[in-house]
Amino acid sequence: MAAPSAPFRPKLGAAASLALVLPVAALVLVNLLPLVWGVLTSIKPESAIFAIPPQFFGFEPTAAHYERVFASGFGQSFSISIAYSIFAVMLALTLAFPAAYAFDRFDFPFRQGLFLLVVASIPLSLGAAALLIPNYVYFVHLGLVNTPIVLPLIYAAHQLPMVIWVMKGTMEGIPRELDEAAIVDGASRFGILRHVMLPLARPAFGAAGTLAFVGAWNEFVAGSVMIDAPWLRPIQPLIYSFIGFFGREWGPLSAAATLAIVPILLIFALLGRLVVSGLTKGSVKG
Amino acid sequence: MRTAKASSYAYIAPAFALLGLVLFAPVLYGGWFSLQNIRYGAPTGYAGFRNFERLLDDPDLADILLRTFVHTGASVVITIAISLALAVWINRLSPRFGYVVQIVVIVPWIISTVVAALLFRWVFLNDIGLAAWLARSIGINNFQPLTSPAGAMALLVAVSVWKRIGYAVIILLAGLKGIPDDYAEAACIDGASGWQIFRRITLPLLKTPLLLVAIVLTLSNINTVETPLVTTGGGPGDATRVLAISVYERAFVNFDLGGATALALLMFAGNILLVVAYVRLSKWKA
Amino acid sequence: MKRHWTVKFALLAGLAAAVLGAGATEASAQTIRMWTFLNPAGNAPREKALAEIISAFEKANPGAKVAVEPQVWDQMTPKFLAATQQGTAPDVMWVITDLLGDTIKSGSLADLNKLFVDKWPAGQKKDNAGAYWDLCSVDGRQYCMFQSRNYIGLYYRPDLFKEAGIDAAKLTTWPAFIEAAKKLTVKDANGAVTRYGFGQAWSESQPDPQIVIPYILAKQGNLFDEKGHARFATPAGIEGLTLQTEMVTKHEVTPKLVTGWTVDDLYEQFSAGRVAMITGASVRVSTLQARMGKDKVGFMLFPGVDGKPNSPGVMAGWAVGVSSKSKNIDLAGKFVEFMGGPEADKIWVGVGGQTPGLASTAGTMPAFFADPANAYLAVAGKGASTAGWLAPIAFSVDGYRQLLNKAAQDVVVNGMTPKAALERAEREFQRRNNR
Repeated sequence: MAAPSAPFRPKLGAAASLALVLPVAALVLVNLLPLVWGVLTSIKPESAIFAIPPQFFGFEPTAAHYERVFASGFGQSFSISIAYSIFAVMLALTLAFPAAYAFDRFDFPFRQGLFLLVVASIPLSLGAAALLIPNYVYFVHLGLVNTPIVLPLIYAAHQLPMVIWVMKGTMEGIPRELDEAAIVDGASRFGILRHVMLPLARPAFGAAGTLAFVGAWNEFVAGSVMIDAPWLRPIQPLIYSFIGFFGREWGPLSAAATLAIVPILLIFALLGRLVVSGLTKGSVKG
Repeated sequence: MRTAKASSYAYIAPAFALLGLVLFAPVLYGGWFSLQNIRYGAPTGYAGFRNFERLLDDPDLADILLRTFVHTGASVVITIAISLALAVWINRLSPRFGYVVQIVVIVPWIISTVVAALLFRWVFLNDIGLAAWLARSIGINNFQPLTSPAGAMALLVAVSVWKRIGYAVIILLAGLKGIPDDYAEAACIDGASGWQIFRRITLPLLKTPLLLVAIVLTLSNINTVETPLVTTGGGPGDATRVLAISVYERAFVNFDLGGATALALLMFAGNILLVVAYVRLSKWKA
Repeated sequence: MKRHWTVKFALLAGLAAAVLGAGATEASAQTIRMWTFLNPAGNAPREKALAEIISAFEKANPGAKVAVEPQVWDQMTPKFLAATQQGTAPDVMWVITDLLGDTIKSGSLADLNKLFVDKWPAGQKKDNAGAYWDLCSVDGRQYCMFQSRNYIGLYYRPDLFKEAGIDAAKLTTWPAFIEAAKKLTVKDANGAVTRYGFGQAWSESQPDPQIVIPYILAKQGNLFDEKGHARFATPAGIEGLTLQTEMVTKHEVTPKLVTGWTVDDLYEQFSAGRVAMITGASVRVSTLQARMGKDKVGFMLFPGVDGKPNSPGVMAGWAVGVSSKSKNIDLAGKFVEFMGGPEADKIWVGVGGQTPGLASTAGTMPAFFADPANAYLAVAGKGASTAGWLAPIAFSVDGYRQLLNKAAQDVVVNGMTPKAALERAEREFQRRNNR
């Protein structure tokens, strides 16, 4: 692919710049203050957490909350959630890729209707807590409750509509001439998928994969209901166990939540640029 | 032109198999469940539409729908307006600085919903939080944002917007990156103002990502119970009792599983109609 | 290049598979599963107590193993009901009081009389006697034993009481209570309140009972009639809600903010020193003591009416039973018996800071109970035996606390009269419970 050209940026006037500074400062404050506060809370001793005036410095930092979090099985939940999320992302990408290709390149009866069905399943994938019991019973019937594959399957299905949308969008931007040229060269459809589309759709894989990872990582309801065994328990129920029957315990709660955003920040640090370029192609078409 | 191909179904079948297994079949099962008489968490016999009829007994139903409309409508419009402005601004920044701003913007979105809402509430709304402490130190003593009905709804909207701006910015930014710079350059040379370029060129080209953002924001605002439950708990009085809270109460306060399932299914149906309406109204083609 | 990233994908998949496949556990015939919200791997006091009890049990019963499957507390009882139907229920279950009636009626719990109570020597049943034991007895069967007992009363700051010359033992009437709350309310030079005398929590999310409930119970003895109809909008109810809301509107000892406060907010306000007294649950005293210092958290009963020293506090907790579908029912029974027995009770009290379940426990731990910091256990115990109320389980009363909190919000925020607000709450209660 060609290197991106320098973006076109009209000059801003001084007044406009100033008008920008305030909202941006407000945004930084509103977005980062709770995060900073949460991280600070995670290293504060109990007695300092609710001190008035609020304490930014001047307390004795403690690792006690982190110790508590790890004693509660955080390490296992963290690794298994990484595994769930990666599995779910791979499954969603693998299934979405040919589907998106067919929706973009082929014509077949009910194509529009079926694509609308994919889009319409977005609300189903938001997961309603109210359907928790019927859902639980359904997955018991399938024999999937409390197995290692139940959550990856559910998460992959939750993310699938979004992934198909993003991938199809990207393929719209890949010229059809490439397919035709490959066919002339004697490539099979699978060959085209493998050797033409796969490399070119790489940004879409990165982008959709990242968004799907965040979705799977932060899912709570299914993770708490479909799993009983401690070693299979994903990370969100573990975090919420610190908002327990005996009250919310800000120390371990903020410590667990702080640790839980690290993988997401890493993914963004590694794939952040991909997210933007990956979605790019798909979103242009008006 | 798309290639007509009957074997297309083989490409989309795996994706639909997973969607069917995990998303569609449980809804059918939920449909059966909602027609049952539910006693002590288990179906005990066919009940016809009694669970649905009972929903209509709720004298507050119309008010709940109106509040849901206000909350969702305001949240979606404000989120899109702010995230569009942010995305346009970030798009003009140097890649490095833009990347930093992007990370700042997504912070609320990547933190688990409940923890994020709790932190926001503690830091900005609670009277033992930072904002209240700052207000007091400059002589504002009546810092009681959650005690008036209108104030509580406004704050619920604020939290909903804050939580989801990151997601919207990422998708819109991706759309913007895909618009070739020469369009705007050409228009600029023709003497078009910045606003005209945005209105006539940028906005129409953003249709697909805007539609995705609008759909996802609408649905997640309607269906997410965590944000209102944590921020206001539905109060004061009934000021912020939205549909999601109503479903949650049926399921987990009154343990009326039949009614909760029925209401959740009706919400799904409404959600799907909304998606179809969005797609139709925007004249978007798959 | 393309090979490069597909290879990486494959490696990730392999890694994920390795983690997923690594932890499979073997379950023997001697393993019983238990659902609770406590995680015995954790290091909070109650979690440590549970871990100790389990290891003592496993030591006493070679070959037996108790596998705890920690659950989200507010979902686990409905899930248990569904799991019983599906055959995936655990052998031992902790049931929340609100759903105890439904759980018993659904037939999900086994009769403990047959499992072990009938074999007890004469004194042992008496050692367990009390309202909690009775709540688990239905039609001559014993379905559960309580493992976590909660009493809703009032928290206060002993240090601030001392400073203001207030004696907690003398706050036996509401006027005396209000007087004390006024004394404890502090304003700064600008007239802004820096500390309120009395904090309450009126949010509808996961509420504890507020003072209208003990007031009604003291005056009319119940909240519901025998058919399960709410009795809120009665003269006693109106007086009680007036009392509760005038703390904000008339006496100004409670901030208006309480309309949005959850129970958790309230404990945090208390921890921050923003309120001197709050409504509170006995089970959380030890947590707050650990946070604020043992001398800063005291526990007392609600003031009384009509010459009685105290109003009844609401009792609640977690009842533990054996699944009627358990395949290991004898061992499960043995464990429930052990968990409620004298050895375990001492661990629950000494390690977990819980109120004792057995009358004999206090006598065996004199030093522990003599510590003034543990006085709250005696107060809660006294409340439970002299002025306590357990919600009936013969019919469901789900949502009554939420509705009464909403009534208070309606009075303070929307200007409704207490009568109108309570009538609305009553109507809603009837409708939601299909009565």
